[in-house]
Amino acid sequence: MIIHRVIRKVQRFQGWFGGGAALCIIAGLYIGLIGSPPDYYQGEVVRIMYVHVPLAHTSLFAYIVLSIGSMWYLWKRDPIVDNMCHAVAAIGAIFTTLALATGMIWGKPTWNTWWTWDARLTSYTIMLMILIGYLMLRTFIDDSEKEARYAAVLAILGLVDLPIIHFSVEWWRTLHQPQSISMRGVSISSGILIPLMCMSIGMSLLFSYMLMVRTQLLYLDRLLHAKKGRLMSQFHMSKTDP
Amino acid sequence: MTSLYLRWGGMLIVAIVLTGLTYSHYQQHLATLSPSQAKAQGLNQEVRVLGMVRGGTLEGNVEGGDATFALVEKDSTISVRYHGPPPDNLRELKTLVLIGKWNASDNIFEARDIGLVTNYGFVVGAYLIGLIPLAIFLFAMSRRVGLLYEEIKTSKLYQEE
Amino acid sequence: MNFFNVIRWIVWKDLVTELRSRETISSMVFFALIVILIFSFSFSMDQQAAREVIAGIIWVAFAFTGIIGLGKSFSAELQNDCIEALQMVPESKGAIYLGKVAANFLFIFVVEILLFPMFVIFFNLDVVEEISLLLLIFFLATLGLSAVGTLFSALTVQIRAREVMLPILLLPMVVPVMIAAVEATKGALNGDPLPMYSQWLELLAIFDVIFTVVSFWMFEFVMDN
Repeated sequence: MIIHRVIRKVQRFQGWFGGGAALCIIAGLYIGLIGSPPDYYQGEVVRIMYVHVPLAHTSLFAYIVLSIGSMWYLWKRDPIVDNMCHAVAAIGAIFTTLALATGMIWGKPTWNTWWTWDARLTSYTIMLMILIGYLMLRTFIDDSEKEARYAAVLAILGLVDLPIIHFSVEWWRTLHQPQSISMRGVSISSGILIPLMCMSIGMSLLFSYMLMVRTQLLYLDRLLHAKKGRLMSQFHMSKTDP
Repeated sequence: MTSLYLRWGGMLIVAIVLTGLTYSHYQQHLATLSPSQAKAQGLNQEVRVLGMVRGGTLEGNVEGGDATFALVEKDSTISVRYHGPPPDNLRELKTLVLIGKWNASDNIFEARDIGLVTNYGFVVGAYLIGLIPLAIFLFAMSRRVGLLYEEIKTSKLYQEE
Repeated sequence: MNFFNVIRWIVWKDLVTELRSRETISSMVFFALIVILIFSFSFSMDQQAAREVIAGIIWVAFAFTGIIGLGKSFSAELQNDCIEALQMVPESKGAIYLGKVAANFLFIFVVEILLFPMFVIFFNLDVVEEISLLLLIFFLATLGLSAVGTLFSALTVQIRAREVMLPILLLPMVVPVMIAAVEATKGALNGDPLPMYSQWLELLAIFDVIFTVVSFWMFEFVMDN
């Protein structure tokens, strides 16, 4: 099947992804922490952006991968795609949590509050809830085929829901607090852009690398379980045979 | 498995080097002194002083970038003469960072610029919270993949097909 | 048995079961009454404070009672393996979904109609003029809640810890419904002119259409065994 060939091809370049991610992130950290000038309005605190914004972008990307994978699974019923969906959900949950955490740390010095019911923050939180619900659902089903199917259904519903959630929360915010907090004040100058680009590319590569490693992990786990189960049943059969 | 540990050891060394570089950069360029330290230390060398403008002492042409005031931090006070670009955050009772030299003959601190008060804690916290869990998560996964490969190899489960 | 007959039979079956046992609706109503009581203890309410929070309280109570009803909708089918019989219906599984949505919608809507006078009495609401508009809001929001909820009820019924998983999965998904319903109800209760909150009614209608269609399609995969 085509997806297997693609996965095998991509898997061969796994090391490149990991190495590229490490290089980009190291370069981004060096430029972001040492090489770039502080922002005129925010001062040194703007450096938090170089870690927060890439995390946030990547977690959205994770959700897109998850829903495309889920549709593919429902169409072709390919277990390796299901392994990938499971992997990307866990990684996406971690990226979203870290994006929220760094966002909160950024919010404290700039907006003087840890948390505000801003549209973006709220929809990210709901997305995190959906991802955690997805992971919990998977732990509560014993049959692995059913687990994959139900999880895919949930992911697709979540994909349909996310834009609606975002719009409704945005309307709700503008209703209650017209001047919504935004990231104006940060003008994107080249001094900011270079480390941001480095970190963004690095985080995307890191995300792909983590996705490959985790997919591999789940695949090997499944393989080992299946083989062990087959050996066990052979063993029992040979015992019960007269 | 050995290559995995070697790779991660390399990453750890790079991380430590980066931390050291960042720390020394901040010590050199952004660390601040209290007024009494500035008085004790700086002869001809430029320093950054953190303190609060004492109420009722701000005089001179503040908008034009020429002012004198007293800077307080805890119980030590120095008088400051500011001469530089027009400041937009020089007010009474404002905590700020002054960049300049201590003039021992006039017993006054000559500031040439005003910097923002830096919250290093937030930056450090964000970077640690953002990156360390990712690294731990990835390390645990890679290690587990290595272990699984070894288990599959040693148990010879893979030979049947 | 064609498609619409399946829908009709499912609704009829659920209604008859309910009329004979009266389990679902009575438990939902009493649960909601307790929720109202708890809320009135936890906020010390004067008339002014009540206006601010009453829409939220109404919808929290309705959502929680709705979840009770939705959970029962498919777990009742587990007895005597009725769910396997449903899976063997020689028609598109979507018919079962639509029948179940209709039945759940009826239960929740009836409970809302029964409960709303309680809110009016306990919190001294003034609703005579807006009653048709409120009914429209209840109708749209309940439809959205039961469209998503029926799918999740079917999805969680065959897994472990289903009582916990249904609200955990359902509530984040229906956040738009809750926001829109609360805002529209608040507008209607305050007597604001309709254009001020008609956008929320539109949002509810869009949500209903989208999720009925998507869930109808997804139900195939949930019931497929």
